Amino acid sequence: MIRRGFLAGLAGLTALAAGRRAAAADASAQPRRPYRIYMALFRGWEEAAQGFKDYFSNQGIPVELIVRDCAQDKSKLPEFVAEAKALGVDLVFTWGTTVTQEMLGTIGAVDPARHITDIPAVFAIVSQPVGAKMVPNLQSSGRNITGTSYLVPMETQVNLLRSYLPVPILGMVYNPLERNSLVAIDELRELGAAQGFSVIAAPVDVVEGKPVAAGIPGKVAQLKQAGAGFLYIPPDTFLNVNRDILTQAALDQRLPSFAAAENPVVTSKAMFGGVYRYYTVGQLTAYKAEQILVHKVPPRDIAIDAPKRLSIILNMPVVRALGVYPPMNLLGLAEVIDGPEIRP
Amino acid sequence: MRLDSSRPLLIRLFILAVLVLVPPVAIVSYWAMGEFERGMIPEMDKKAAVVGRDVTAQVERAVDLGIPLDGLVGVDEFFAPILQANPEIRYLAITGPGGRVLFARGIAKETLAGHLMRAAPAGDDGKAAIGPYLDLALPVGSRAGIGGQVHVGFDQGYIGTRLGDIFYDIVVVLAASLIVAFEILMFVVFFNITGPMKLAAAVVDRARRGDFTHVPGGVSGDEVGHFIRTLSTTIRRADEQFRSLMAYIDEVRTAHFDKTVVERAGEIAERVRFLYRFSETGRPLVIRDQLATDIRLPLFLFVFAEEMGRSFMPLYAREFGTSFAGLSAEMLMALPIVMFMVGITVASTWAGAAIARLGTRRVFLTGLIPAAGGYFLTAFAESVGQLICLRILSGLGYALVTVACQTYIARATVEEKRAQGLGVYVGAVLTASICGTAMGGVLAERVGFDATFVISSLLAAISGWLVHRLLDAGQDGGADRNDGDGDGKSLLRLFANWRFSALLLFAAVPAKMALTGFLFFLVPLILWKAGLTLPEIGRTAVLYPVVMAVLSAVSSRLSDRMGWRSGLVAAGGLIGGLGLLTPLLPLGLDAPTGVALAIVALGISHGLSASPQLALVPDVCWIECQSFGRTKVLALVRTVERFGSIIGPILAAAFIPAWGLDGAVVVLGSVVLALSVIFMLCSFAFGSGLHIVAEEDEE
Repeated sequence: MIRRGFLAGLAGLTALAAGRRAAAADASAQPRRPYRIYMALFRGWEEAAQGFKDYFSNQGIPVELIVRDCAQDKSKLPEFVAEAKALGVDLVFTWGTTVTQEMLGTIGAVDPARHITDIPAVFAIVSQPVGAKMVPNLQSSGRNITGTSYLVPMETQVNLLRSYLPVPILGMVYNPLERNSLVAIDELRELGAAQGFSVIAAPVDVVEGKPVAAGIPGKVAQLKQAGAGFLYIPPDTFLNVNRDILTQAALDQRLPSFAAAENPVVTSKAMFGGVYRYYTVGQLTAYKAEQILVHKVPPRDIAIDAPKRLSIILNMPVVRALGVYPPMNLLGLAEVIDGPEIRP
Repeated sequence: MRLDSSRPLLIRLFILAVLVLVPPVAIVSYWAMGEFERGMIPEMDKKAAVVGRDVTAQVERAVDLGIPLDGLVGVDEFFAPILQANPEIRYLAITGPGGRVLFARGIAKETLAGHLMRAAPAGDDGKAAIGPYLDLALPVGSRAGIGGQVHVGFDQGYIGTRLGDIFYDIVVVLAASLIVAFEILMFVVFFNITGPMKLAAAVVDRARRGDFTHVPGGVSGDEVGHFIRTLSTTIRRADEQFRSLMAYIDEVRTAHFDKTVVERAGEIAERVRFLYRFSETGRPLVIRDQLATDIRLPLFLFVFAEEMGRSFMPLYAREFGTSFAGLSAEMLMALPIVMFMVGITVASTWAGAAIARLGTRRVFLTGLIPAAGGYFLTAFAESVGQLICLRILSGLGYALVTVACQTYIARATVEEKRAQGLGVYVGAVLTASICGTAMGGVLAERVGFDATFVISSLLAAISGWLVHRLLDAGQDGGADRNDGDGDGKSLLRLFANWRFSALLLFAAVPAKMALTGFLFFLVPLILWKAGLTLPEIGRTAVLYPVVMAVLSAVSSRLSDRMGWRSGLVAAGGLIGGLGLLTPLLPLGLDAPTGVALAIVALGISHGLSASPQLALVPDVCWIECQSFGRTKVLALVRTVERFGSIIGPILAAAFIPAWGLDGAVVVLGSVVLALSVIFMLCSFAFGSGLHIVAEEDEE
């Protein structure tokens, strides 16, 4: 309060000076040859890859990026592994759960012949690093890899959702074949018990072992009838693919929707979302790559975590169409996506 | 306090000082406050405009995004933090087309609507006086036809309140500077004028009776010093002339041929020797006078330095965080006070011995090093641990300095004038306490806690410089007038005298408990929690020394005249204890008023009982005072009552978690009251005679 403003200032100056010295030392330690990074992507160049690349340019770290896209085709991945090994790159970057599992191998099934083992690797956009058996826990992979997670903790999501509109009943459509969604339901119900709301979950129809998208609008209508005041959209691959059907159904039912991932809000009609932007996740992944390449920290010593800054995204055409307006304080913090008027 | 024969001069000088100091300060302050008011209104306008623009921008963003003005959500929660961060802004509101109040916080919608209805239309700047508020209206106008406005409302009385705060601060500073000026005047008058003049009077009086054996000492460079020097020279000259006369007579007596002349000359010599006395050695003795008042200014400055931290010490301690060595947050705030008292207790047990060996001047200067160093380093303390250590250090120094002053005064005053000497000490401590408590709050608010401690250390250093420069190094020898004997162990036998024990445990100890536990510890916490500023806390706490200063003069006369000492002590204890029960009163008082009442009661309590309590000691243990010496008995009393000072804040801090702040005051008050009731019952059995023989001693 009143005391020690100037002392704190002094301490700050000292810290700054120390930081400068450290930065200078790092700069002198850099080799002239750029670091060679092999980037294995799943569905083309997008925000996370861009964030990864921009981090190195912003930090002035010279890198040579070898970019390969498998275009959602798993069968190309063994070629990528062979190529990365043949090139003798300094680091491998893997995008998404599939690429990461195929190229780096899951716990207990790592084969030095089929997987990258000697080259350090970082992964990004893996929704459940532990659930996908990439790492035993988030503190350490226990092997030559590390990475980032990109999902907002469930409690943060729920608090955000309820700060918009504290509804008593939360609805959720999910794919019963995806473990992610099942975990999400359990977490939601647990928080509901503590905070006083209930959760109704409607699984999509499964025909011959495959989920069917056509049934989604019916499921949403069913939730609305059961009294749900908000639709929660889990980070579910099947629902992500069919996000237009799901969010349009919610809009038709005049049901506000909240998404835990970027796509349903940014490129579809979910009303709002609390997410870590892919771009930010890409930057954080690049920071971990810097620790490995420049500061020579073993990947096993780098914890797997998510960005600190949450992005709140409001899809204004949907907000207007529903007439459910955000509180002023939430609006002040939110990024807004605006566009032409839409009709339910 | 008795000002002795210098009173007329001193009073005239003081009136002069008031006349010289007050008008310019008053004029400058008046002018400065006018400037402040003129400067503050545009500042407040600017702030209103900034806050208004910020709110309007966010409302416009919402409206631009297609949210209707009357459909805004969470406006109350949006306004709340802005109002909290800007206490001068009383309300925020949004009105729709036609001036309909859609949202308002800090004022009821209907009230605002009524004011807006009655108000004259706002000027071009959007400002209007509505009711007791100044209203700034900003249009929400990015899209045509919205017709909404954001309203920022100021309390018109806010500027008055702020000016009032500044006015009180100026009054405090002015009063404190007058007291300081008075102290300095008194010092200068006594040290440079009255003291030397008294010496001169004594020397002249001797000379009038033919005694030329003494000359006045202590020569300063001013007119008085010049006069004293001339007087000495005159006496030395008379001495020389006496010697040459005697030499001449001797010459006549040894060498003259006429026996009658020799006899005659012999007679003249005898006659001169009979009428006038001169120094045997040819060097008239230099007489100096040690005045009790010489030490008053250094003592005043030193206590002033310590008292500066008085009104905010627990608040200062709280800033270091609330966890240390597993102690509760309350205990951590109490510890700096407690440890200071511990430091005093420890040092005062051997301060007497140190003075006997080194003399008062050296002990004073030695004590200043830890005290002033402690204040200085406190400004740079980084943790509760460091603060506590520094408080112990300052406590050690404080004890050495104050005991040195007491001894100096005791030695400078003859036995019959003891009370007068004590008056010098108590007077200096009380006036310093008044100045320090009030000024400390003002300084802490204006320049911060750290700078206040640095100023404390400077004051203490000045006090040391005065003692170093002005007190003669040679004049105070070590040898203490040690009256009586008896070692520490046998001194403990005093407690076998039940009257003595009752006086200590049920009157002296609870008085100190209330002082440190309530005034030093709980008062800053309660008042801070009630939202008072640091200067306001200082102004409230200063009631204690003010009331006490007024009353102690009255009560010491009362007790001496009526011999009703134990009654005054008992009454004081009861008043103090009852005063702490004010939170129980169903008067609906706000916290600051209740606390102020309790502080006044405490001031009355201690004002009534402090000096009778000391005077009562020789009454209740007359025999012991004879055998051990009064000094030792009084030292024991002081040591025991300091345990009260130590446990006061500890008890209060322990009560807070269970009963809250007000509860802690009441419980502490109950403890004090219970002990005082016991003392009252005991005092009925004291008897009224002065010479009470301790029966237990006759075994």
